[in-house]
Order: sequence, then C-alpha cells, then structure tokens
Amino acid sequence: MWNEQPKVKTNQRIESMVWIFVGMLLFLLIRLWFLSVLETSLYQQKSELNRMRVTPLLAPRGNIYDRYGEILAQDVPRYAVSFLPGDVSIQESREKLESVLGRHIDDRPQERLSGEVLLANSITLEEVSRIEEANRKLPGIMVETQPTRVYPAGVSASHVIGYIGRISEMELMNLAKNGYAGEDMVGKSGVELYYEDILRGEKGFRRVEVDALGKIVRLLDYHPPRFHNSLALTLDREFQEFCYSLLEGKSGVIIAGDPRNGEILAMASRPAFNPNALVKGMTQEEWQRMVDDSLHSFTSRSVQALYPPGSVFKPVLALAALEEGIVTADTRTFCPGFFDYGNQRFYCWRRSGHGSMNLVDAIAHSCNVTFYNLGLKLGPEGISRWAQTFRMGESPGIDLTDVNSALLPDPRWKRQHIGEPWYPGDTINYSIGQGFVLLTPFDVYRMISIIAARGRVYQPQLMSQVLDNRGEVVRNRNPVVEAQLPVADSSWNVIIEGMKRAVRQGTGTACRGLPVEIAAKTGTAQNPHGEEHSWFGGFFPADVPSVAFVVMIEHGGGGSGIAAQTARTMIEWYVEHRGGAS
Amino acid sequence: MISSRLTLILLTLALTVCGIVAVFTTDPLRENGLLGGSFYGRQIMWAGISWAIFFLVSRLDYRWCLRLEWPLYVFMVLSLLAVLFFGSGDEMGARRWLFSRSVQPSEFAKVAYIIFAAAHLVQNIQHADEWGLYIKFCILTALPGVLIFIEPDIGTSMVFVALWLAAMVLASFNWKKILLSISFLAALLPVSWPFLADYQKNRLLSFIDPYRDPLGSGYNVIQSQIAIGAGGFWGNGFLSGSQSQLRFLPARYTDFIFAAWCEQLGFLGGAFIVLLFILLVGVVMKIAREAPDLEGKFLASLVATMLVFQIMINIGMNIGVMPVTGIPLPFLSYGGSSLLITMVAVGLVVNITRRRREDD
Ligand SMILES: [Zn+2]
Repeated sequence: MWNEQPKVKTNQRIESMVWIFVGMLLFLLIRLWFLSVLETSLYQQKSELNRMRVTPLLAPRGNIYDRYGEILAQDVPRYAVSFLPGDVSIQESREKLESVLGRHIDDRPQERLSGEVLLANSITLEEVSRIEEANRKLPGIMVETQPTRVYPAGVSASHVIGYIGRISEMELMNLAKNGYAGEDMVGKSGVELYYEDILRGEKGFRRVEVDALGKIVRLLDYHPPRFHNSLALTLDREFQEFCYSLLEGKSGVIIAGDPRNGEILAMASRPAFNPNALVKGMTQEEWQRMVDDSLHSFTSRSVQALYPPGSVFKPVLALAALEEGIVTADTRTFCPGFFDYGNQRFYCWRRSGHGSMNLVDAIAHSCNVTFYNLGLKLGPEGISRWAQTFRMGESPGIDLTDVNSALLPDPRWKRQHIGEPWYPGDTINYSIGQGFVLLTPFDVYRMISIIAARGRVYQPQLMSQVLDNRGEVVRNRNPVVEAQLPVADSSWNVIIEGMKRAVRQGTGTACRGLPVEIAAKTGTAQNPHGEEHSWFGGFFPADVPSVAFVVMIEHGGGGSGIAAQTARTMIEWYVEHRGGAS
Repeated sequence: MISSRLTLILLTLALTVCGIVAVFTTDPLRENGLLGGSFYGRQIMWAGISWAIFFLVSRLDYRWCLRLEWPLYVFMVLSLLAVLFFGSGDEMGARRWLFSRSVQPSEFAKVAYIIFAAAHLVQNIQHADEWGLYIKFCILTALPGVLIFIEPDIGTSMVFVALWLAAMVLASFNWKKILLSISFLAALLPVSWPFLADYQKNRLLSFIDPYRDPLGSGYNVIQSQIAIGAGGFWGNGFLSGSQSQLRFLPARYTDFIFAAWCEQLGFLGGAFIVLLFILLVGVVMKIAREAPDLEGKFLASLVATMLVFQIMINIGMNIGVMPVTGIPLPFLSYGGSSLLITMVAVGLVVNITRRRREDD
C-alpha cells in the first residue's frame, strides 16, 4: 500500500537538508572562534572600559621658597566632591549633598571624561568630615583633594616666579611624551616654567569598578598624587616685595644681587600681574584686558625689555680704554662743554663744560666729552667687544626663560639692519650709551656686579636648593664662576673710585650720607618716545661689596633724580633689615 | 534505532541541565534560593513539568496527533487572533502573550504548524506537482504567519518561513515553486518595512552598524559581543565575568544567555553547546531518514528545522551575525513556554523511533 517513490525523494531531500543545517551551525562555531579567540584582546579591553572608571587625580607641585624659607609658591589642597552617576540622578544627589552640607552649592555640575561629575569645587575640611559621616546616605559620592597654586608674594614677584595654567594644545603636543595630559597644569612663565621638571608632581588615579548602572561596586585601587621636589630660591621675599613697592606708580625695574656668588636677591618689575588671579582662572574678558594692557604687565622688564643704557654704560668704555692703553689713570681731558667732529658739534650734558679732568672724575661727573674721545679711539667694534666681556649680548645664563639679549651695534650690523654706513657720529653716541645700543636692566646689573666683584664673573642664579617632599635638601647649587676677566687691578681701582666719587660729589649724590658707602653710576637715557629713562646702578659697601643693584625707572628723568632716590630708599631698607654695612 | 533514541534523550537531558546551569549563573534573584522565587528554581520546576510531558508525548502515537491536523490548525489561528485582540504587550509594545503574560501562543503555533504541515502535505503528497496544493498550502501558512508577524514577533515569523520552505522541500515540490516562494518573500521585504515598529527598524539598522546607536538599539549587540569576546578561549570562570555579573549584558538570562555562558566558559563552553546542538539536529535528522513513514520523516525534519533556525537566529544575534529579533535559545533561555514546546517537539521525534520498532 505504501508508495515508495515519495519516501526516496524525501530521503534525498532530508540528506541535503542535513548538510545545510550542519553548515549553518558550523558557521556559528567559526564566528564564535573569531570573536572569542582571535579578537578576544579587543573585547577584553572593551569589557574593562565598561566596568572600570579611572579618575586621574591632579598632581600637586613642589613649593617654591625664598632664601629664608618664606613661601613664594605653594599648593593648597582644596576639597572637591565628585559623583559617579548610577541609580541616583545628578540632581538628586546634588540635593542630598546640599542637605548634608546644610548649604546651597553654586557650582554647576561638570562632567568629566571618566564619566564622573564634579558636584562641588571647593568645600571646607569640616564639610569633608560631614560628608564622610553621611557616607551611606550619599551613594556614588567621593571627596577628592585638588591642589590649588597660591603665590603669597602675589603681584610683587610675579615675573620671577611666574604662574601655572592649564596645559595648552601646543604644549601638549611638545610634552605629551612626558606623560602630560589634557587637564594638567604646567608652568607658564618664570621659575615655574624654567623648573617645570623639578616642580612637577606625579599624578595619581583612582580606579573603581562599576556595574551597568554606573553604581560603584568596589574601589579597585588608589594612587595618591604627590610631588617630588621643592625649590629654594636665592630671592629674598621681603626685600623683593619692598623693591616692588618702591616702584609704585611707576614703570621700572629693581634688580639686586650678591656679586660674590651670583645670587639674585630681588628682581622687581612693574607693572606686573597677579598670578593668583591667573591660576584661579579668569574670564575671557579679564584675560583679554590683561593681554591688551598698554603697560605690558606681562613683560618682565628686567630681562625682556630693551632700553638705551645712557651713561650707566660708561664704565665699559673707561675700562676698555684703560686696558687698551688709550688712557691711564692720570690722563687728563679738557671738556669745554662740547665736542666738534667734522662739521658736527656734540655737547656734554653740562653745557658749561667740566674743564680739565682725569678718568676718575670723568666717571664721577659722567663727562660726555671725555667718553666721546675714548669711544672714537676704541671704535664701535672695540666698544662692543668690551661690552661682550661684561656678558652683554650673550645669553645671560640666568635660570629664566624668554630672556632678551642686548643689542650691541657695529658697522656690519648697521649695514644689515638699517642699510646705511656707520658714521663717526654713531660711535660718538655709542660711547655714551645712546644711539643704537639697547640693554636689558639685567645686562646692566651684570655689568655692575662684575665690576663689584673686580672681574670675577659669576653665573647669575635664582635657584639655590632642591628639596625633597619632606623638606630635606637634595641638592645645593654652588656658585659657578664663569670667568675671571684679565683686567689689571689698577683699572678696577679707577672705575670703582670713579663710581664712589660719583656718589660722594658727582652725579649720584642722592645716595650720599648713608651708613654704608655706595659706589654707583647714574644714567639718563634719551628716549624718542618721551621723557628720559632714569638709571642708577651700583654696589655697596663700596670696598667689600655684598650687594650689587640696578634701578631703572621708565621716563624717570635724569638719573641723579628719581632712580637714585629710589635706590637710596632701597639701600636704607636693606641696611636696616639685612645689615650689609660689612 | 534504540541508540538513536537513547542518544536523543541523553542530548536532551544534557541540554536541559546546561540550561538550568546557565539560568543559575545569570539569575538576578539567585540569592532567593531554589524555592524563594529565583529564576533557576522556576526553571527547574519547568524542566520537571517539561520532562513529564516529554515522556507523555513520546508515548503517544504521533499518527494519532496527525489526525488532529485541523483542530490544531483552527486552535492555533484562534489563539493568535486572541493575542491580536486581547493579548498583553511587553515593554516594546509587542503583543505576544495571553493570560497576563503566561502563555505565548506563537510558541505553541510552531509545533501546531509542524503537525499541520506534516499531516496536510503527506495526505496530499500525490498532488505535490499541482499548483492547487501549493497555493492552498501557501494560504494556510500565510494566515498564522502574518498573525505572528504583526504581533510583531519577527524571530518566530522567520522560523515560520523556514518551516514553510522546509515543508515544501520535503514534499518534493519542484524547485520552481520553491524559488517562486523565495522571490515572493524577497519582494515582500521592502513592502513590509513601513509596517515595522520603530524599534524594529532601529534593530535592523543596528544590525548593519551597531555603533550607529551604541546606547540604544545597538547596545545589546555590542554588549553581547563584548561578553563573548572577553570570555576568550577558556572563559572568565563560572559565575565570573563583568559583562553578565555587573549587568552590562541585557536579557542575559533569556535572549542573550548564550553570551553570558560564553563569557564564563569561553569558546570551549560555547562550542560545547553548539556541538550538542549539532548532535541533536543530526540525530533528529537521522531519525527522520530512518522513519517508517512520510509523516514521521516530515515531523522529524520539521522539528530539526525549527531547532536549527531558532539556534541560528538566537546564537546568530548573540555573536552579531543576525539582527536582534528576540527569540529564545532552545533549552538554555529562561522561560517555561519555550522549554515546554521544545520538549514536546523532541518528544514527538522520540515517539517516531517507537513506532518504527513496533512496525518491525
Ligand atoms: Zn663734560
């Protein structure tokens, strides 16, 4: 009764179906092999990303101290509250937090890359303990410390200490290989920038495991952030602040240091900026106002601004002339009040003339005519060469970045940059620090301190010690003698005697009658943009100098005036507070 | 033939045990204990019921079942209509259940249709070359098929389509008719697009590119692939694996139980399950080939088809080669209806082996 024909046919089809079915299931197996064997590392990573939340914790920086251990820059911990969203919404947990703290939170919740939300930016230590107590009521809430940079000397040392700020994209590109990341703070200027590698701390992180709802299952590990090294500077914070205050209402520079070892004691430049405001973060508008500031508050006038030096430059020529054998200590020059060269007449600053005088008096009275003569004999190359001997026009070797170097002109320079030949008149101007020559106040300071040290050239330095994070000294920076200038003692005697006499009876009498003898040189730099710049550079005690200084007041008028008076107040303060009569 | 039957029963037992273990490892209420309303406890209860019915079915004469062809068909269509009008929906708005989510008629419909198709085609096998039978069969299939499709339950409709095609192949319809059916379906695809719910469209688009909407419709696919991939060759170990234990993997005790299984037991564990399935399908097809009558051949082959396609669709979506369509994995996924229906189907196949012996 059974027709066998359909059965045979069906069996054939069953057989082909088996192959299709087995093929389909084997295909699943192959794909499974791909997923779980060949691509497993990729998916393991993705799985880790799913369950782990890593929060980087900002690195604190080392402190910066002055020479007496006073703080110049410091990280103050600030407590912040972060929150990992999960079962509880951001709004809800914020309300809970507010009820625990008993106050309103103004901060807008900030979402981070790790998925966390920053609920409150700064809470007090007392509030931290309240949160810890109410731990159970606040799921997903964590307290973290965030370092905040504070500069106790504020605006007065801003150019030297610098400031820190969020790393920029450019910096990130250059520094990324050193482990910097998008939210890091880095030194932006001054010592903060120069010693970034030393001051920079180590980031910490916190890893938590979360479930699919973002609820924290457990803390996996916690690496606290820390810093490794602090710095002690040669700076004297109190003196620095006083110097800055002396410049009130003016634009100018005061630099003071120890000529016996190259240490910088103060380096004030005004106007300046407030680093504390910068670190706190400013609005776009505030920032723009600072950048556009016509007074250039961001410029460190000490090392970045170039000025004609005027007569403070004269010791360079005097020393050069003595050493080149152009003059001796006894050579006398007659100053009728003017100097004729060709058909041009160049005047002395005292039109009535200084009469006949030797080099010491010429320095003391800053007689232009004497220096015109010397300059013409030295020639522009000679002057520049001797200026270089005083480390002008070279990298000054101080531990700061963005330092400008002097412009020392000569005929070749003039041809290249102005396209004109060098005239004897240019040499005459050069001999009294006018014309094309431009120096930073720091260049002048170095010249003064080399004179004070009678030709011993110390590398200027701001940093004196590296400390570890417990405050123990790890490294002392010893004075570095760069060179001993091959200059005869008698030549130094002439220059120093000239500067002493300048204070006693010459152009610098504003500093006469102090409890300590001062040797100094004034300068009045003509300035095409307005009132003359006023210079005063010197050292004390004159015979055994322990402090060399330079004061420069923009548009201050004659050097015997405002710069010398400012220097006098500074010296008085220093002698009273730091001694220095010896 | 005894060995085929025994193999089948042992494979079924192995898969049921794997299923209970799988549900245990993914049970969100595991702490409630065996009798405290935990999912694995309930799955064990369902396994007991299913095994009882399995033995009952395997002792019934399948030829007697086939006589119920029309009552079963009518009951199937009526229950699907009831879902359409009185069904309760799920979160997505799909209506698949009756009696407050306890009975899923589309599960029952699969077995009913298998019995109906086997009976109807075998009775009319001498007309297999005629267009009349083809058209009648197509219409009788389309009625429940469309009802399931518009529930909507795309996964089960896909199984329906597979059963329909397989039945025609078995009935030795000529290739012209089968090709015509396939091209008709292909033509229907773009037409059906507007009838799909938004979430279904999203799922289909996410199948093509899961990262299009990684937190929405692509989430399941991404998370299940991560779970399987992270399991690696050896797996993360029993009850470990952050994807399933930390709840990143959605539907981990139902539709995506395979991914959770693989995360814990790795490629080895996954391959073990697939091999069990291959053996199961192989044995069922062997029984089909050796069945004494056409009815038996049809029944067994169609049961194999149903199993293969459910496995393919479910594991396929777990490993990202099929769109997410929400279909349980036979034996492993948590759920009473699914397990019961699978066991009934396998029971029918066991039954075929008994008849063979009696005939001899
Ligand atoms: Zn004169």
